[in-house]
Amino acid sequence: MFADLKCGALTELESGRCWSSQDIYARIAARCAQLRALGLQRRDRLFILYGNNLAFFVDLLAAWNVGASVVPVDNRLTPFELENLARTVLPKIALTDATVPAALSDVLESLGVTLVGASGLASDQVPAPQASGLPCAVQLDDEALILFTSGTTGMPKGVVHTHRSLRARWLSLRHSLGIDCFRRTLCMLPTHFGHGLICNSLFPWLFGQDLIIAPSFNPYLLLRLGSIIDEQKITFLSSVPSMWGLSLKGSKPPQGRTLQRIHCGSAPLSAHLWRQIQQWSGIREVYNAYGITETGSWVAGTSLENFEPEDGLVGVPWGAVIKILNSAEPQSPFAAGAECAVGETGYVWINTPALMQGYYGRPELTEQVISGGWFVTGDMGLVDERGRFYLKGRERDEINKGGVKVYPADVDAVVERFDHASAVCTFAIADPAYGQNVAMAVVLNQRDDQTLRQLQAWLKDHLAEFKIPQRWYVVDELPQNSRGKVSRAAVQELCANLKPVDLVGLLRRGSLS
Amino acid sequence: MDLDQSKQELIDFLRTIQRPDYPHAAIDEESGLVESGLIDSLALLQIVSYLEQNYGVDFSERGIDPEDLRSVRSIIELIAREAVS
Repeated sequence: MFADLKCGALTELESGRCWSSQDIYARIAARCAQLRALGLQRRDRLFILYGNNLAFFVDLLAAWNVGASVVPVDNRLTPFELENLARTVLPKIALTDATVPAALSDVLESLGVTLVGASGLASDQVPAPQASGLPCAVQLDDEALILFTSGTTGMPKGVVHTHRSLRARWLSLRHSLGIDCFRRTLCMLPTHFGHGLICNSLFPWLFGQDLIIAPSFNPYLLLRLGSIIDEQKITFLSSVPSMWGLSLKGSKPPQGRTLQRIHCGSAPLSAHLWRQIQQWSGIREVYNAYGITETGSWVAGTSLENFEPEDGLVGVPWGAVIKILNSAEPQSPFAAGAECAVGETGYVWINTPALMQGYYGRPELTEQVISGGWFVTGDMGLVDERGRFYLKGRERDEINKGGVKVYPADVDAVVERFDHASAVCTFAIADPAYGQNVAMAVVLNQRDDQTLRQLQAWLKDHLAEFKIPQRWYVVDELPQNSRGKVSRAAVQELCANLKPVDLVGLLRRGSLS
Repeated sequence: MDLDQSKQELIDFLRTIQRPDYPHAAIDEESGLVESGLIDSLALLQIVSYLEQNYGVDFSERGIDPEDLRSVRSIIELIAREAVS
């Protein structure tokens, strides 16, 4: 398997289309030929602007067979953000389809990127396969994927995985988890981020298991999750906690007893929700899966003989060594006395062959997080006397909106450029559906309704909708610490006692006038 | 049960969870709440909670037919059928 790829069947849930492995190999070969004819070569970069459909997976493997690296792009980004990414990565080709807003295609075209439509070959247009399996064109240390996690509005932070690091992740997951329970895998997570792509989709699919792909976070599908599991005979699915709100409330539990395992990750899983998922699904094997894009996603989880759901419990490493150290400084993680005692909370460091190659074009940033092959995660945790790993919090500056990360610095960077803003601090607020949502405190030199409406329009032009602050506080100044730095925690505390801007009323008055 | 009043109360509730920049026209009874952009997808969870709390509807056993939550009209029809008086 190490360089060969043998994929299972693909089914698109909404359309019902299903491609067998042989269909897929033939389509990949055809698409490969097309991409080569368009000038794509080894080490070129290619954007894919759609996802969660059959064409995405064919196009991904076709690009890999040419030797190119792939950047799956969230097509909810604004043209401003996409231009920022494209200027950083300089893709040769961008694959687009009818779901991609024209404004995104236009900005890429203006940068000289060749736009190519999705490979929607009808069945009678697909050539007969020349041989079983796929040609082995992959070189293990070539770039395979670049996943942008933050910085779309400023300096993009792109996690680079090679074919070697991806295969290390998949092989270690197979070793730790087996493959049988993944026989019929459902993916309802976005294919532009690590959890949905590397682990929920590619891991089982490239070991020959069948993948059933659905649009991500579709509420009407979540309300039918039990029926979908039964109809498609699903044995495995992965999830984020916020998905379960709708399914637990509104979906009848599955009846067909096909489910063997569920993973839940990308956000903290409370013991209460954990038990509810176990009860609803009828299986004990609901694992809290801990993963980070930099480590190829899933790197630890609750694959334990006996466990009870507990807040913070993750479990055991999957293809990794986890250490808890008393420092997050990369210079000398293993100085004498660096390791925390059993049961003591400290900084979580990980060593894994699935570690990213680095951040694209940001060696200084890579050096801040990798030292001697060890990666500092930005999380706090402990290992107990049984060797079980617990997460105790995040040091990373991120807002976890339903499993999707929003980085305050990305929002701040946009607001700071608004003419009438003199200071801003974006922070997290609790949200009943998402867990967390985005809020901001802003200092403005003009506070009239018209200025606020202009700020809303500015945010819409520069930020994907899910990043736009849902609650605003207009303040006279931002609290700072003794070093003159704005403290997000202090801003959160200040705003807890303030009345937010009535955004709905403000925008309504604007549309009526 | 006064369904006109229920409809107005529902619309008032939707205003509290709608996207801030949804164009302020009257909320169309037939349009899809998510498809039209009035609310984002996970806000359906808040509608479920609203129905449970205000009308005593218990979805835990029967599940929800997604079509019942698609528009203002379909929600009002659900209330008319299921509300515990």
